[in-house]
Formats: sequence, C-alpha cells, structure tokens
Amino acid sequence: MAMNYNAKDEVDGGPQCPPGGPAKNRRPDNTAFKQQRLPAWQPILTAGTVLPTFFIIGLIFIPIGIGIFVTSNNIREIEIDYTGTDPSSPCNKCLSPNATPCYCTINFTLEQSFEGNVFMYYGLSNFYQNHRRYVKSRDDSQLNGDSSALLNPSKECEPYRRNEDKPIAPCGAIANSMFNDTLELFLVGNESYPTPIPLKKKGIAWWTDKNVKFRNPSGGESLKERFKGTTKPVNWVKPVYMLDSEPDNNGFINEDFIVWMRTAALPTFRKLYRLIERKSDLHPTLPAGRYYLNITYNYPVHSFDGRKRMILSTISWMGGKNPFLGIAYIAIGSISFLLGVVLLVINHKYRNSSNTADITI
Amino acid sequence: TLCMAYKHLTSKEYEEIDRRLFEARTALQQREEKLAHVFQFIEKDLILLGATAVEDRLQDRVRETIEALRMAGIKVWVLTGDKHETAVSVSLSCGHFHRTMNILELVNQKSDGECAEQLRQLARRIKEDHVIQHGLVVDGTSLSLALREHEKLFMEVCRNCSAVLCCRMAPLQKAKVIRLIKISPEKPITLAVGDGANDVSMIQEAHVGIGIMGKEGRQAARNSDYAIARFKFLSKLLFVHGHFYYIRIATLVQYFFYKNVCFITPQFLYQFYCLFSQQTLYDSVYLTLYNICFTSLPILIYSLLEQHIDPHVLQSKPTLYRDISKNRQLSIKTFLYWTILGFSHAFIFFFGSYFLIGKDISLLGNGQMFGNWTFGTLVFTVMVITVTVKMALETHFWTWINHLVTWGSIIFYFIFSLFYGGILWPFLGSQNMYFVFIQLLSSGSAWFAIILMVVTCLFLDIVKKVFDRQLHPTNTEKAQLTET
Repeated sequence: MAMNYNAKDEVDGGPQCPPGGPAKNRRPDNTAFKQQRLPAWQPILTAGTVLPTFFIIGLIFIPIGIGIFVTSNNIREIEIDYTGTDPSSPCNKCLSPNATPCYCTINFTLEQSFEGNVFMYYGLSNFYQNHRRYVKSRDDSQLNGDSSALLNPSKECEPYRRNEDKPIAPCGAIANSMFNDTLELFLVGNESYPTPIPLKKKGIAWWTDKNVKFRNPSGGESLKERFKGTTKPVNWVKPVYMLDSEPDNNGFINEDFIVWMRTAALPTFRKLYRLIERKSDLHPTLPAGRYYLNITYNYPVHSFDGRKRMILSTISWMGGKNPFLGIAYIAIGSISFLLGVVLLVINHKYRNSSNTADITI
Repeated sequence: TLCMAYKHLTSKEYEEIDRRLFEARTALQQREEKLAHVFQFIEKDLILLGATAVEDRLQDRVRETIEALRMAGIKVWVLTGDKHETAVSVSLSCGHFHRTMNILELVNQKSDGECAEQLRQLARRIKEDHVIQHGLVVDGTSLSLALREHEKLFMEVCRNCSAVLCCRMAPLQKAKVIRLIKISPEKPITLAVGDGANDVSMIQEAHVGIGIMGKEGRQAARNSDYAIARFKFLSKLLFVHGHFYYIRIATLVQYFFYKNVCFITPQFLYQFYCLFSQQTLYDSVYLTLYNICFTSLPILIYSLLEQHIDPHVLQSKPTLYRDISKNRQLSIKTFLYWTILGFSHAFIFFFGSYFLIGKDISLLGNGQMFGNWTFGTLVFTVMVITVTVKMALETHFWTWINHLVTWGSIIFYFIFSLFYGGILWPFLGSQNMYFVFIQLLSSGSAWFAIILMVVTCLFLDIVKKVFDRQLHPTNTEKAQLTET
C-alpha cells in the first residue's frame, strides 16, 4: 500500500495500523525488571577477596577443633561386651540356657573415676533396626492411645498384628523385638558386701515422645482394663500393662519401650538404659575400682551373629565421646590455612601477569 | 540497470512496425521467435540517452556487525540471488571481503569435470599460500555441479576460506548449502539471516533462523525463529542475549543434575547400611518437596536474571563470544566436573554424618539417642544448605530477588521443618518426624557438624575456582575484572 508508508513504523516493529485507528503498541514495558536493568551487586571471587576468608576459617576452626577435641577427651567411657560367645566368658552358659531366666555376672574395673552424671547404655551390633519392613512395622495411632486403632491395628504391623484371634497391643515387629535384658551395677568396695549403684529409669526417652506421642488408651481405672480385648506381643513374657509397677511408666508410656521404639539409624547402635545421677557431695559418681555387672540374659542375639554390650559414659554439652568432630575441625582449619598461604604465594608470584586485562583476539 | 534510448519514427515506419507486431502476436506457431525477430528489427539505430541504476543502500552499521561476527569466531557466508559482479561489489562494501583478501572463483562451470578440475586448483592455491586470507565466490550452477559429485572437495575448499560468497542462488539452493554445512564433519551450528521471501527456505533449514522485517515484506520474519528490525541488531542479539541465555541454560542444566546427584547418592549409600532393604534415608515429605519447594527458586531466578558480564562489555568485545563456542559449558569435561562435584559432596554429607554418629553415640546434652529419621534429617539439612549456597557461589548478578530466593529457600526449609515436625498431624498414618527436627537443632554437635560439612564441601569448589581464575583466567573472567 503506497499511502501512509512510514519507514519509522517498520523500525518500531509494530503492525501497520490502519489510518485513523488506535495505535496498538506491542512493545514491552521499559521498566527495570522487564528490561533486565535491575540494580545488582556483582561480586567476583578473586584471590584478593578469598584469601582473608581462608585465613579466617583456619583461625576459627582450629581453636574450635581443639576445644571440641579436648572436651571429647575428657569424656570417660567404658564398654563391656557380654554376648558370651567366648567360652571363657561368664555369660557363655546363657547362650543355650538350661533354665530361663539365665543370670550371669561380669567383673570389670574402672581405671578412672567418672564425675558428674553417668549414663548407662545397652548396645547391640549387627541388629538392623533400619530395615525397611521393620521400620514401618508399627502403628503410631495405636501408640497414641487411639481406641479404634487399639482394637484394629494397622496393616503395616503384619504379621505381628493379631495373635490367638485378638489384636496385639503394641503391634508390629519393632515392639515385638523389644530388648528385655536387665542390667544391675554393683561396686565392690572396701567392705565385704558390694554396694548397688542406684539406677534411675526416668528421663531416658525424649520428653515429647513420652508426653505427647505415646499415650495410654483412655478408659477404665486400671491399665489392665484399658487394654481389654488385646493380647501381648508374641515374644513378650509380660503384657504391656505390666511393664512397670509405677503407673506413669507403665503401658505404652514405659520409657524403656519408648526408647526401643525409636529405631536406630545404623546396625551398630546403643540405647539409653539408665541414668546414674551425680551425688550431692563431692564424691565422684562412680569412683575408680572394681565393679560387677549382673545380667538377666533374656535377649537372644547369637542366632544372627549379633553382639550385646553395656556402656557407661559421661556426657558433655556435645554428647558422648566423639573425637571425629574435633579432628575434622582441626583438619579443615589447617588445610584452609595452608591453602591460604599457598594462594598468597601464587598471588604474589603472578601478580604482574594477572592484572593485565587485555584480551587477545 | 536500464539504459534509455530513443529514435524518431515516420508514420510509414510506424505502420510497418505495427503490422509486423500484429502478425507476430497473432501467429499460431513459433510466436516467441517471430516476436523476438520483430523486436530485433525495431530496436536498431537508437540514440542513447542515458542509463539508470538503482542503489540498494546497505543498512547502517552492517560493516561493524560483520566485523564483530568475524571477531567472535563466526564464519560468515553470503548467499544471494544477485549476479556475480553485484554480489562481489556488495561484499566488498559491507566488509565481508577485505581488499587484502585473495578472491578465488568457482563460477561459470559448465561440466562436471571442469568443476572438479577448478576445485582441485583452488585447493592447491589455498595450500600454497597460508599467510593471506582467502575468499571464495561460487555461483548457483557451479554450486549444483559441485554438490552433485564433489561435496567433500568443495567443503574442504570452503573450510579454508574465511569468507564465502554464493551468488545467483535459487532459494532452494540456499537451503541446500545450509544443509551441506550442517552435516559436515564438525557439525557446526548454523544461523541464517534473511529479509525476503526467497530466504524463507534457508531460514527454516538453519538451526537458528532470523528474519529481518524489511522493505520486502514480512515473509521472512513470519517464518523465522527470531525477528529483528535491522541487521545491526544481530550483534546485540547474539553477543548479549545469546550469550546470556547460553550461560543461563547451561548452568541450569548442570546445576539440576548436580543437585539431584547430591540428593540421591546419600539414599544409595544408606542402602549399604540397611541391608539393601530400600529404607529411605529422608522422610517422604522431604523427598517430595526437595526439588519443588526447597531448591527450585534459586536456580529459576538465576536462569531469568543472571548477567555474568555487563551487557555493554559484551557488545563491545565480541571475542568474549568465543568462550562459549563449541558448546563448551555443556561439554563432557564440564559435565564431569559437576557430576564428580555432586558425588563428592554427597559422600561428604553422608559419611560426615556417619562418622559423627559413629557407634551411634549420643549427640544430645542429656544423653538421649537419635534415631534413623534424625540421622536422615541431618544429612538432608546439610544437603539443602550446601546446594543452595553452591548456587549462590555460581551467581554473579545479585539483585534483591536473588537474595530473597536464595536465603529465603533456606529459611523456608527451616520454618517448614519446624512446622511439619511441630504437631502430630491427624491425617498422617505414621508420625515419624514428630519433633525430630527440633531435637536435631537442639544438639550442639549437630550444629557444628552442619557448619563443618557445608564449609568443607564448598571449600573445595572455591579453591578450584580461585586457582583457576588466578592461574588460567579465561577472557570472560578478565573482562569481569576490568569493569569493577
């Protein structure tokens, strides 16, 4: 069309508008966002900016690593394996017991005294609490006290769901395989008879587990009535409402039970068993000396090459004895410092050639 | 070009001409020849008045654009339908051919053998003279002869010429040339620029087709991948927008593989410790939300807004374009770097957490123990923080949006986890994650471990980047330094 031909329209890229019509402009907005002209910070990772960071990391990490390492070294820990596979071990007779329950005693000596609160753990090896079928074999609503789930546990608990035509409470493989050894600790003192060490069984499970996640079913007066219509898990000796005589540690809210139900991450694990509280006077909680451990050996691990042990440990703010964290901090700190020095040398040597910024074609 | 001439005719001569024309026009046989005969009879003894010529002005800044394309390492070929002399003079005037170049010609070949002989001669001339730059002129008929039998030889000659001009090209031949280049051994990426309807087949054949909205109508623009208004805009299109998009997309692809390698490898490593029973390390909600909620926004904003060099610098220094040639950022080498980085990070996450827990020692100040979900959450937390900070390390252009999504993603992860583990959700079958995250955060050892693992992972990467920039800086990196 010869009329109204305007080269400027072509440049603008808009469509030819008919003469006299409204101009339809498809041009995008000229805002900073749409034209990608937003103000921005443009950092560049050069040697100059990174060098101080390396030195700072080195200077911060190494003392932290030393501090953590020293803290970890001050933690006392002792492990007593009582599986009894070795024929010379006192617990060997319990591998194929003549009479249940089997009792055995292990003597051990503490070289150094344990100060502060001492924590007693039981440890298992080669026990895969993290197997997928095992981990999902539980019913959290039943354990929360839901009455419908109590009598009708979830299908995940199969095959530990019903027994003798009654629902199992608590259902599932995790509950069924609960650890049931009893450990008692005695100090062989100067007197002829040994003193038992008082073991506290409260405070071993997470507070939220005991008070929120695990609840006994509501109902009648006694716990036995509330669990009416259910039966105990297959491998248990006593039903769940007879786990402890104290009412606030009985039933589902028994702390040993709760600790067992928190499945461990790795096949070698330990779980908190008892607390030994510090004494109010200045004596150490566990003085150095000879002790013996009385074990009621109920839990069979020999068939799958598992091992059982008892661990006594003190605890710091960072938990148990863990040299790894301290060593790792020291290692990373020193590597960082070293690389900072290397970078400084390289930067100095190449200072001249790296600063010219012409580009060769 | 036209020439104008005149002659006077008497009325008798006119009637003679009229009669002959009428006969020729109404002849039943051999009309064409008879008409030509008559016109020859008429057009004699004319007096020349003058000649007209039409100059098609070059658009402005074409010379600079072609020069920039050459500096960027892009080989420029001109395919035109004009005749030989016109094409050569246009090439010279627009900077495609230099005056110092040695122009080789493959025109007016009539037979196959002649064409082959000429090609061999050209190849010999190129081999003899290395110093000078060569340009090649081919016309349509010779091209079809060469393509029929001697493709390899022809491509050999073309490869060694810095500029090629093809004249007298039919539209389909233009597309054929592009096809030929596309399948040549180096498999180069082709871009076709045209403004007329005769360029449409070429535009559609090339990898990238660009149409210029010009005086010849909108056909080319309609059939192209990108339409621009002037030829000079090509330089901004390629060197600024093209460069930006390439960097963004290449980093997007590499980062996506990297973060998923980081995500899945610890799951795989955990199988060695759970009897290969496919027990998941992370809770299923985390599995679902990782790619969507926790790590998607930073890379999205990066690939929309990243500008690793200022646009003005890019446009003024076309040689920077060579840094991304041959798909360098998606090459095997770069891919291996990202993947190995992903694997090493995943190993650090998993085994760092593994050795921290060790023989499953307590990490809490009250001696209580963690379970498998806390272990998995520890690995997951370290991972989310590391991949997000890795993205932050890759970003050169920090707008307020980048800050918001990067730090916001990490903060969102923490808030979501606190919220998710904060109550017993009634509709969930299993309450695995109840209070797990808060317990994890209340352990001093866990915090120290998180900081240590994040620093260790990124430390290696920062070291590599800084050493590379110090010892072998690329042109891009030098350009980044100059503007600050």
